[in-house]
Amino acid sequence: MAEKRRWRNSLVWRVTGNSVLLSLGIIWLVGSALLSQISTGIFHEKLNNAISDSETSARSIEVQIAVAQFQNDAAVKKSVDQMISIASLNGATAGREIALLHFPIVKPVANNLERTSNLLSPASVPDSLRTLVRTKTGSHWAKTKIRYLGGKVEDGIAVGSRIGIPRAGTYELYFLYQLNSQANTVNLIRTSLWFTGLALLILIGLVTWLVIRQVVIPIREAAEIAEQLSAGDLGRRMEVHGENEIARLGTSFNEMALSMQQQISRLENLSRLQQRFVSDVSHELRTPLTTIRMASEVINASRSSFTSKVARSAELLIAQIDRFERLLADLLEVSRFDAEAAVMVTEPVDIIQLLKRTVDYLHPSRDKIIHIYSPLEPVIIDADSRRIERIFRNLITNALDHCDGKPIDITIVESEDAVAIGVRDYGIGFQEKDSTRLFDRFWRADPARARVRGGTGLGLSIALEDAKLHHGTLEAWGRLRRGAHFVLTIPKSAGVEMASHPIPVLPPSELSPILIEAEDEEL
Amino acid sequence: MTLIMVVDDDQDLAEMLGIVLTGAGFEVDLVNRGDEVMDLFHAQTPDLVLLDVMLPGINGNEVARLIREESMVPIVMLTAKGDTHDVVLGLEAGADDYMVKPFNPSELVARIKTRLRRVISETAGGLKIGDIAIDQLAHSIMREGKVIPLTRLEFDLLVALAKEPGRVFTREALLNEVWGYRHATDTRLVNVHVQRLRSKVETDPENPELIVTVRGVGYKAGVPGSKEQ
Repeated sequence: MAEKRRWRNSLVWRVTGNSVLLSLGIIWLVGSALLSQISTGIFHEKLNNAISDSETSARSIEVQIAVAQFQNDAAVKKSVDQMISIASLNGATAGREIALLHFPIVKPVANNLERTSNLLSPASVPDSLRTLVRTKTGSHWAKTKIRYLGGKVEDGIAVGSRIGIPRAGTYELYFLYQLNSQANTVNLIRTSLWFTGLALLILIGLVTWLVIRQVVIPIREAAEIAEQLSAGDLGRRMEVHGENEIARLGTSFNEMALSMQQQISRLENLSRLQQRFVSDVSHELRTPLTTIRMASEVINASRSSFTSKVARSAELLIAQIDRFERLLADLLEVSRFDAEAAVMVTEPVDIIQLLKRTVDYLHPSRDKIIHIYSPLEPVIIDADSRRIERIFRNLITNALDHCDGKPIDITIVESEDAVAIGVRDYGIGFQEKDSTRLFDRFWRADPARARVRGGTGLGLSIALEDAKLHHGTLEAWGRLRRGAHFVLTIPKSAGVEMASHPIPVLPPSELSPILIEAEDEEL
Repeated sequence: MTLIMVVDDDQDLAEMLGIVLTGAGFEVDLVNRGDEVMDLFHAQTPDLVLLDVMLPGINGNEVARLIREESMVPIVMLTAKGDTHDVVLGLEAGADDYMVKPFNPSELVARIKTRLRRVISETAGGLKIGDIAIDQLAHSIMREGKVIPLTRLEFDLLVALAKEPGRVFTREALLNEVWGYRHATDTRLVNVHVQRLRSKVETDPENPELIVTVRGVGYKAGVPGSKEQ
């Protein structure tokens, strides 16, 4: 039940799962694109600000230095220091640092004015930017890691240009802008994108689940009702609401169920009629036949007082009544199969015992021509012993009728799930093309040939039906004048399909093709 | 003289049965309707009833049930249908044996004789199965001093099993011994009667201890309490 429920739920869960997965992909893509666009935008704005700020600041520094140039070296130095410390103060709050590095091409003078603000490491300025500043005039920028001597590292932008300081020569002036506030903004946006995405995902899953359930519930209902229908409750119908597709499914489902119900009840009626007819015919024919039979036996009992002609007539009468009786019994059995009214009564049966008993009954004579090759242990299977015995009887009678006085070999071989019984005779046999037709009703290999005593012409056909009823097989192999091989294979447990056929229908003695050719020439 | 009641709606067949059975040395009462059986049964008390299944008035199975309510007389059903269902219904209604039409008259007589025969045992009395004492002379069985009523066939079946406590009887052997069949594979007779016998003698018919099934083979007399060991 739990298994079935999980299966029934699986469509809902599968669709929900798929839509959540797909949404996850889409949200991921859109989110990433959005995030990268936003962060690029923020970076560029900061960059523009940084460039314009650095230009303004560089110009104001130049102006201040220009004012201070007429004094001595110390004044220049002092002015630079002051400028750096002002810039440091500004920088600490605005996240801007300054680095004044000397221009290495010009020989350093004694008065080294190289400075950085707030313990900034000069390595913060990437070499590539320095090269650019040295080779080209104007201001340049580059992304960098801002390193402090204390070991702190921040993401940032470096903007640099050349600056000429009187009495000290040319220097490179770099402004380094920290990007942590931008990074914080981007992080904030990323986090909120994450949460929005997650919420969206849950909502999409929920919505899909609800929507699919709405579609699946009627389908599930239809499936349940179909199950009940197939279990035989033909009166079940689906409830139909509205006029949508689901309602149409319900309507056509109900129409199908109705027509099925009508068809089945029609067939049931027919089958009932047929069964009634068979049983009536059976009764109506059997009662007078019983009277005839008893009368004939009474007549036959006083045969000795008859003239020879009357006595012979009495004998023939009895023989023909016997034959008529067998024919009637076989016909009734056949019509029972046709009406599908044949019932199996299974019980554990020792198949070897059953076979030996049948052989003893059919062929009790001393000069045994029937040889049984069977396992020593009993082979117990679940089967209808009456039917199995009838198959044996039909096969053995058939073999005895056609063996031409030669021996008959009966083999029993069992496997894991099946047991096979092979009946092999070396008598008149039959043509290869007849191997399936000989199961036809009233079929005779040679219509011109005299009828074999005892057979009704229905034996093999009934045997085949009995085998099929057991979910078994009955196969025939035969060659003219080389005999026949009938193999019955039935599953060990009633109604279970079997996988193996312990006895192949082609007899082992016929396996060599050379032997067959030689024999053909001989004949 | 042994009186056999023949119940069949087909007058010709009934007459023919009369001829055959009187020829075999029996006295015969003919009845054509199911609802007339009980009146005649009370008036004549036959030794055996031959009963057709399809009868006007009440059907044969019902008649068998009515007879069984008051008598253990052997009942042999005559049926035109060899179908399992009908046969089992008749046996369950209380019939001891059945003959499928068209039957061989000598076989019918043989079966009737088997049903009427008294098993004369060399060891009169003495037999026991579990806590049940079997008195073969009186044809009765007792548990703790109380008589359990059995039909003659049920009695024969129980005696057959009790006589050889260790032996496993195949259904065919029982058919031979109790029913007198020389060759038959209709083991339903045995199955149904074993069920009926169990319902009378077993303390718990669902878990039989006296008549034990040997899977795939047949039945044997069991020793109560042996399962626990």
